[in-house]
Amino acid sequence: MTYTVALAQVNPACGDLDSNLKMHVAQAEQALEAGADLIVFPELSLTGYTLKDQTLDLMRRADCPAFGPLRDLSHHIAICAGFVEEGEDGIPYNSAFFMDAGDVVHVHRKMYLPTHGMFDELKFFGRGRNLSVFDTRFGRTGIVICRDLFHPLEVSAMSALGVDLLLAPSAMPARGFGGEELAIEQTVGLALGSASTFLGMFVVYVNRVGFDDGLGFYGGSALSDPVGEITALAPRFEAAQLLGTVDTSHIARHRYQLPIHREEDLAIVRHALEARRDS
Amino acid sequence: MTADSLALNNTLVYDYLRKFVQEELYTSGFTEACIALSGGLDSAVVLKLAVDALGAEHVHAIFLPYKASSDESRRDARTMFEFCGIPWQELDISRMADAYLAQQPGIDRLRTGNLLARMRMAVIFDQSKKENALVVGTSNKSELLVGYSTWYGDMACALMPIGDLYKTQVRSLARHIGLPQQVIAKPPSADLWAGQTDEGEIGVSYETLDQVLYLLVDQRCSSAEIVSEGFETDLVHRVEHKILASQFKRVSPPVAKLSQRTVGIDFLYPRDWGK
Repeated sequence: MTYTVALAQVNPACGDLDSNLKMHVAQAEQALEAGADLIVFPELSLTGYTLKDQTLDLMRRADCPAFGPLRDLSHHIAICAGFVEEGEDGIPYNSAFFMDAGDVVHVHRKMYLPTHGMFDELKFFGRGRNLSVFDTRFGRTGIVICRDLFHPLEVSAMSALGVDLLLAPSAMPARGFGGEELAIEQTVGLALGSASTFLGMFVVYVNRVGFDDGLGFYGGSALSDPVGEITALAPRFEAAQLLGTVDTSHIARHRYQLPIHREEDLAIVRHALEARRDS
Repeated sequence: MTADSLALNNTLVYDYLRKFVQEELYTSGFTEACIALSGGLDSAVVLKLAVDALGAEHVHAIFLPYKASSDESRRDARTMFEFCGIPWQELDISRMADAYLAQQPGIDRLRTGNLLARMRMAVIFDQSKKENALVVGTSNKSELLVGYSTWYGDMACALMPIGDLYKTQVRSLARHIGLPQQVIAKPPSADLWAGQTDEGEIGVSYETLDQVLYLLVDQRCSSAEIVSEGFETDLVHRVEHKILASQFKRVSPPVAKLSQRTVGIDFLYPRDWGK
């Protein structure tokens, strides 16, 4: 199967849900017109990233009336976008939904919320505790939000649960300007390369652009295929919508060539963890 | 090791800072920038950056001399106006400053310097209102860290595009963007009296200062580790002391908390809230 994914490297307006919704609709329509089957937006794309005390005012459920236009559009193009989720427990979560065929198919709550240095996510958001994957017409799919991508155990667990397509909406601030590319780009490149090369999955990394209070998000959204090659790469610092092609036959071919997935034996890990727990 | 670590990809840095200036202004609803031009390197880099980001017609630079300002400052400021293709603007602060200074017999150099910096601040902020502009600051990381700047004087601004660049990095960026050699090569100076230089005042060259700051701040090295890299013990301790002594300049004044939500403590919004 071959399908087209649109990487929406956008600059959301901070705290302005209405204008961001319009922007999402326009982006999805543009992608649809270009022949895309799926569009992926960055982390917190519907609200902006540096929300602080606006978090409480902006939290919504994925099935809220306000997101109706996106659910309608998802009859024609599947949509993954970031939002502040109002949990059933009343807690705001840094989440991303996946909509398809008019329904909310899945919501992922960010599990690892950076709270150090320039980051203070746990001050405002609850922590997602549910690692789950879901089946779509594109194959078994998982979502990791920004820092989640840097946790190999989370990504590996998703792989173990059978993920072929990993969506990685992000808001990665630029830092480390000493080299040919940014230091953070190298870090992201390692994460994309290892997820796709060793775990044999497609990774759709969509990072935002623009500035929040001095933090600049660098863009550089990318589609990484199972042989670890970047087959689509968006520019640095500029808003862009990029199309990438996913040929799912690459997955089986790559996993046959480098059968790490087949070799994997989670019983070893489980045994080690249990032995440690019991000691 | 340290010199290499301070080297930057100036193409990336400049592209990024141009976007920063654009977005910080446009998101706040402004198109115009005001910059106080001193004739020195920092304001020269910020001027060129603002012109490249916003267009020359949207940048309002003003030379604000005091009667003790040097001829070189005027010459270099004029060079930068010409280099950037913007009309010469000068507002002499001597009369307004002297009206106060005449009432303060025995005022020392430090107080005078602070007063002049705050006079310039008052003028540039008034001009920014006239032009419906934001004041773009010219502080660099070296001076922010050691506190070689006037609180609510030259530190006062709406955005600081070069506030995370050490002085030596600003100089390297200036070379990259092709600023006139005379501006790049001149010894940095607050130009408050004849022969004054930053390095004479701070007591160390920027090359050395920046390396010590980089190790202390960016690498979080201990002073013992920095001394073992070959820097003088006394120097390292002096730099540490300057950072501590100027911390008050880098934070907002503490507000006495009484209520559930207090400005500056737990009333938390980004600057562009609602924009």
